Amino acid sequence: MKIYIVIHNLFLILGVLFISQIGRSASKSLLSTNPFLGIAPQDENYYKTSSEIFKCKDGSKKLNRAQVNDDFCDCPDASDEPGTSACPGGKFYCRNAGHVPLLLFSSRVNDGICDCCDGSDEYDGKVKCPNTCWEAGKVARDKLKKKIVTYKEGVTLRKQQIEQAKLAIAKEEEELSKLKSEEKILKGLVQQLKDRKEQIEKAEEKERLQKEEEEKKRREAEEEANKEKSKAEKEANQEKNEVKEQVGSEEEPMESTHDDKIGVLDQDVEEDKSNSVAEVEHTDKSENASPTDGIEQHAAEGKEESPVVHETDLHAGNEVSPTSDQATKQENDVAENTEGLSREELGRLVASRWTGENTGQHTEEVDAVKHDHHESHEETPEDTHAEEYDGYASETDDDSQRYDNDDMEDPVDEDFGEDDHYDSSPPYKSDTEDESDFSDITSTSNPSWLEKIQQTVRNILNAVNLFQTPVDKSEAAHIRKEYDESSAKLSKMQSRISSLTQKLKHDFGPEKEFYSFYDQCFESKENKYVYKLCPFKQASQEEGHSTTRLGRWDKFEDSYRTMLFSNGEKCWNGPDRSLKVKLRCGLKNEVTDVDEPSRCEYVALLSTPALCLEEKLKELQQKLELMNQEQPQGRDEL
Amino acid sequence: MPPNINSTLPLLLLFLLFTLHLSSVSAWKKEEFRTCNQTPFCKRARSRKPHSSSLFATDVAILDGALTANLRQPPPESPDQDQIKPLLFTLSVYQNGVVRVKIDEDPSLDPPKKRFEVPDVILPEFESTKLWLQRFQTETVDGDSGPSSVVYVADGYEAVLRHNPFEVYVREKQGKRRVLSLNSHGLFDFEQLRVKQEGDDWEERFKGHTDVRPYGPQSISFDVSFFDADFVYGIPEHASSFALRPTRGPGVDDSEPYRLFNLDVFEYIHDSPFGLYGSIPFMLGHGKARGTSGFFWLNAAEMQIDVLGSGWDAESGILLPESGSRIDTFWMSEAGIVDTFFFIGPGPKDVVRQYTSVTGMPAMPQLFSTAHHQCRWNYRDEEDVENVDSKFDEHDIPYDVLWLDIDHTDGKRYFTWDRVLFPNPEQMQNKLAAKGRHMVTIVDPHIRRDESFHLHKEATSKGYYVKDATGKDYDGWCWPGSSSYPDMLNPEIRSWWSEKFSLKNYVGSTPWLYIWNDMNEPSVFNGPEVTMPRDALHYGGVEHRELHNAYGYYFHMATSDGLVKRGDGKDRPFVLSRAFFPGSQRHGAIWTGDNTADWDQLRVSVPMILTLGLTGMTFSGADVGGYFGNPEMELLVRWYQLGAYYPFFRAHAHQDTKRREPWLFGERNMELMRDAIHTRYALLPYFYTLFREANTSGVPVMRPLWMEFPSDKATFSNDEAFMVGNSLLVQGIYTERAKYASVYLPGGQSWYDLRTGIIYKGGTTHKLEVSEETIPAFHRAGTIIPRKDRYRRSSTLMANDPYTLVIALNSSHAAEGELYIDNGKSFEFKQGAYIHRHFVFSDAEDSERWPPITSWFSRLEKPHPYN
Repeated sequence: MKIYIVIHNLFLILGVLFISQIGRSASKSLLSTNPFLGIAPQDENYYKTSSEIFKCKDGSKKLNRAQVNDDFCDCPDASDEPGTSACPGGKFYCRNAGHVPLLLFSSRVNDGICDCCDGSDEYDGKVKCPNTCWEAGKVARDKLKKKIVTYKEGVTLRKQQIEQAKLAIAKEEEELSKLKSEEKILKGLVQQLKDRKEQIEKAEEKERLQKEEEEKKRREAEEEANKEKSKAEKEANQEKNEVKEQVGSEEEPMESTHDDKIGVLDQDVEEDKSNSVAEVEHTDKSENASPTDGIEQHAAEGKEESPVVHETDLHAGNEVSPTSDQATKQENDVAENTEGLSREELGRLVASRWTGENTGQHTEEVDAVKHDHHESHEETPEDTHAEEYDGYASETDDDSQRYDNDDMEDPVDEDFGEDDHYDSSPPYKSDTEDESDFSDITSTSNPSWLEKIQQTVRNILNAVNLFQTPVDKSEAAHIRKEYDESSAKLSKMQSRISSLTQKLKHDFGPEKEFYSFYDQCFESKENKYVYKLCPFKQASQEEGHSTTRLGRWDKFEDSYRTMLFSNGEKCWNGPDRSLKVKLRCGLKNEVTDVDEPSRCEYVALLSTPALCLEEKLKELQQKLELMNQEQPQGRDEL
Repeated sequence: MPPNINSTLPLLLLFLLFTLHLSSVSAWKKEEFRTCNQTPFCKRARSRKPHSSSLFATDVAILDGALTANLRQPPPESPDQDQIKPLLFTLSVYQNGVVRVKIDEDPSLDPPKKRFEVPDVILPEFESTKLWLQRFQTETVDGDSGPSSVVYVADGYEAVLRHNPFEVYVREKQGKRRVLSLNSHGLFDFEQLRVKQEGDDWEERFKGHTDVRPYGPQSISFDVSFFDADFVYGIPEHASSFALRPTRGPGVDDSEPYRLFNLDVFEYIHDSPFGLYGSIPFMLGHGKARGTSGFFWLNAAEMQIDVLGSGWDAESGILLPESGSRIDTFWMSEAGIVDTFFFIGPGPKDVVRQYTSVTGMPAMPQLFSTAHHQCRWNYRDEEDVENVDSKFDEHDIPYDVLWLDIDHTDGKRYFTWDRVLFPNPEQMQNKLAAKGRHMVTIVDPHIRRDESFHLHKEATSKGYYVKDATGKDYDGWCWPGSSSYPDMLNPEIRSWWSEKFSLKNYVGSTPWLYIWNDMNEPSVFNGPEVTMPRDALHYGGVEHRELHNAYGYYFHMATSDGLVKRGDGKDRPFVLSRAFFPGSQRHGAIWTGDNTADWDQLRVSVPMILTLGLTGMTFSGADVGGYFGNPEMELLVRWYQLGAYYPFFRAHAHQDTKRREPWLFGERNMELMRDAIHTRYALLPYFYTLFREANTSGVPVMRPLWMEFPSDKATFSNDEAFMVGNSLLVQGIYTERAKYASVYLPGGQSWYDLRTGIIYKGGTTHKLEVSEETIPAFHRAGTIIPRKDRYRRSSTLMANDPYTLVIALNSSHAAEGELYIDNGKSFEFKQGAYIHRHFVFSDAEDSERWPPITSWFSRLEKPHPYN
């Protein structure tokens, strides 16, 4: 039989090093004066039985009463040791009269640190914990009161905002449906105008052909006479073209200037290279001024090591066929490329592996090397950016167009540059163009514009006689103009429809409380950066004139307590940038505490009335009531 | 021609794309580092044929208690060749089975320069264990024409100097079986210093760097054979298997030797003989037939070591007499002298004891430093620190040390603070200290060349920097940009450096602050192979090539001395270093550098740490989670589960990675990581006891299975599992979504699952189901493990908590164990202020003998029903 024995609580009684275990008896005595230490009020009844048997809460074991709070863990669920640190995973309750009660990890009991403001977690006599609950409680209560005041006001603001949002949304929905029906009519009109225009154009074309025919006949007669003359002219033209071509081919070599290295290596290949080689050469840039250096050196080393041709001896490749030689060489260049660098450049380059910092401020060449080294198959950051951007723009929705504008800084700068109130400057409208531009077609106050057009079109269509020849020039121009204007109007209208549809598709929250965010951006200045958050659109970080996109609007998370912007610009050696904005109740929309806890993962705080929920207010009020009840007897807050 | 070109060009492009792709997969810049072929001394040595050495010993005598001789060569056949001067040979014997063989140029023959002998590594007290040899015997062995000289080594062991051909070996007296030998294959070569003649081109170039080599070739190489060895181990630091694989011989294609050259290697790969951050030229051979032996070469120059696969010398035609299994090795060094130590064993623990009797026992660490460390490049500011600290408490996860990487400084000027990010560093440290926690800041050897930086000004004016080949202060590039490096070889400069750690000099430091030495290989971003040029000059005209591998060691030593001074000799230092050398174990901990967050690197951390432990550096660990890259959740959890058993247990991450503190991966994963950390805290009394064992015997905390089961051949190449002490066997899980693990449990006794108490038979491989909750860990029957089962916020807060002894009985109902306790902090244990108890439990039914001291126990739990 194998026996497995666990012997617990070995206490060594030691004179030299350890203060003997006085604390232990002290703890026992304190526990005996207060047998309910560490037990939450709602649990007290469970422990208050007179029975001599104690059952673990999970029912797994039956114990002798004396085993409760005896500083030895018996129950797997820790229920026999509510007042000691014996059970890992247990919880200790402190009443903290005058402040809020606290449920501690049992690992905090008698560990020498005062965790409960009433000091009840430290009772073994090693430390004295003064009762600070009243003072701490007062601070907490004051804070809570302030918070409640904020919430009260915030709840009102929030309600107003919700009302406004509902009205605005209704208005926009109405506008949208109106626009849609108008669009239908206008589309019809435009089509009619288009048909008419085409008919006219056909007629015009016919007329033109007739004229040409006549002209042709007349010319054929003349042509015979002029034959000699035209021949001479033709030759002159041809000569000119040849000159042009020559100029063109002279320019070509100038385009590929960093060719010398490969040229030295293998002249033949160089000459036959087509455009695709130019890409290869690009990596050679960093070989910089003295292209032959490296080769001489390789040769020198090669001499010294002649007897053995080692596989990793890259320089031995010189003897291999020109193409593979070239390939080997290229491989080297891509991978190393460091010999031509100055000592400082090399230092920066190697450092950049760890830091990922751009060494480019110093020399562009180093920069180029760096990208060769680290990005290998990737583009340089700029390229990546550009590429992403293209893709993005080609989504061709109206929003993306608008983003482009935002990203271009200048319009933004015009709008906001003049005020230097960077520190959480008041929110502003993110795009003004829409509404003003569409005033002519969205003028609901003036419903007759469509009728006017209809009338005009009718007039035109009636007035124009299709079969009249020659075509009435002024009539035709009139129709063209009408068509152009109407179709311009139509496309404007369609774009408004699309932008409204896009907007209304967004999730503005369960009560549309975030509707007002749609047309706003929030700014915050942290050190040298200005952060700009435009909910439902995008977020960016600006430093001087450079703008980095931290992310595009993604969604709300965490039951509308967090806004997520994702798929920002890619970080070198890191993830795509992203921004999480935590929302909290406040009276103004204000961004604070922008931070980057992990590389390129940003977080920020936005206080807004939209988060001032009524339920939460009630909760806070209840909490305050509770705290006030907990006042120890005989003390008055005032 | 044109059609041809058309077809090659796309190919060329394809090839380029392919290589580009490859280089992004493995970022290790292999071509930046020299191969053996690109290293002339290595290439020359490797091309030597067996038995090409013609040295023979003459003038054999006893001098100053040692056996001495001159090593000579036959006169050259042509008069043009240099007559090689005789070399001085000294063999001395030390207590407990250590033989030291030194070979150097004879100073009386006027060599151009004294060759470098590494100072301050060998313990001064080691010298006092020297046996004063009185006489030697002469005998003729192996049918030689000449004699051999034989001296006593230890009971049952003798050392033999074979005169011609020259060979040294240690043998068992009975049966004359060899244990270890040097130059049995005649590969010995010693390039003597010469005065440069007209036409000598000694310069070496690599990657645009030129080494002027003013003293010319001066390398040394020789072969060493381990008899009756099934495997050889040791010679860190490499990311490779624990049992060293052959690097030359039949079936080995084009492998590099194991390289020992301290280098800062960006994104090292998980299986390569390539040299990493530290070097310990100490190798152990172990076999079932005899046991263990060891060979140590004290030399700080670049070293390359070949493990020769059997049959490597078949072509030479001269084979050594068969002697069971024998492993031949070939050692090459660029400079220095032969100063070698033969350790006779015969047990594995004997060899490490013998080795640490020469280089020193591992320092006794502070208790807190054996607990859980949290690091990241960077915790950016005080708010960040406070936040991370409070989150640990919020989730009831204990940790003891929070680390600050380079960006806490003002412009990478060490000993300073970025006062915007850290306006109140003392207050920050005190806040942590109130919870029994400590902080560590980084202090690297590169000093920013900035006239306004007091340290630089002082070092410049005192001439304390390493010089370049022309004698100017060497100017290299590191984190701060242009930097210089204090010459740590000079004891005066070390002493100056150590003063910088006083609370007064290090403004913003507190007694709760400890130090991290990084980049001390030294790393020089614009130097050859990312380090210092070999022709840079140190104190006493020593070339950097001669001491390179020890630079980080001296730096570590000076820093550690600084902390001792700061604490007035009363506070044990804690300094983590990346570079190391024999003796580093006396100065602190080391870690395996910039690893990567993948499963292979999790796997290789075990052989790496086992190797470090075998070679004295027991206080070592790998970055939990992997430094580069983002670990998947499962990998991170597995890494915590394994890392909790590393002697040095620290989580660390690169600045480009996502935050990965345990609470960022959901409740379940947080619980799993917390469980792993709790396990470590529960076992702290056991770990601390083991650290004390290492401190007194050199025997590592984390051990290979064969150290406890030396005759169980199945354990010899097992580097997936390891022992923590003699009582605990741990097997890592190194694959994703593992359902089963094969665990070999050695020995005749049973093993108890550490969590469930389920019993497993020993001496067999078990296929076990694996859960996400834990990696397999087993308590060996017959041992007692002391624990503390209450988790606090930090180890310091556990000081008064009760101990739990877990007694696992063996088949004869007995068990033994130990518990070592001291105040965890000071040096008073050296004066005897400690308790070290040996527990013996025998025959549970004998109530009169159990429990031994009733009053100690508040509770004795009834036997578990495990069966």
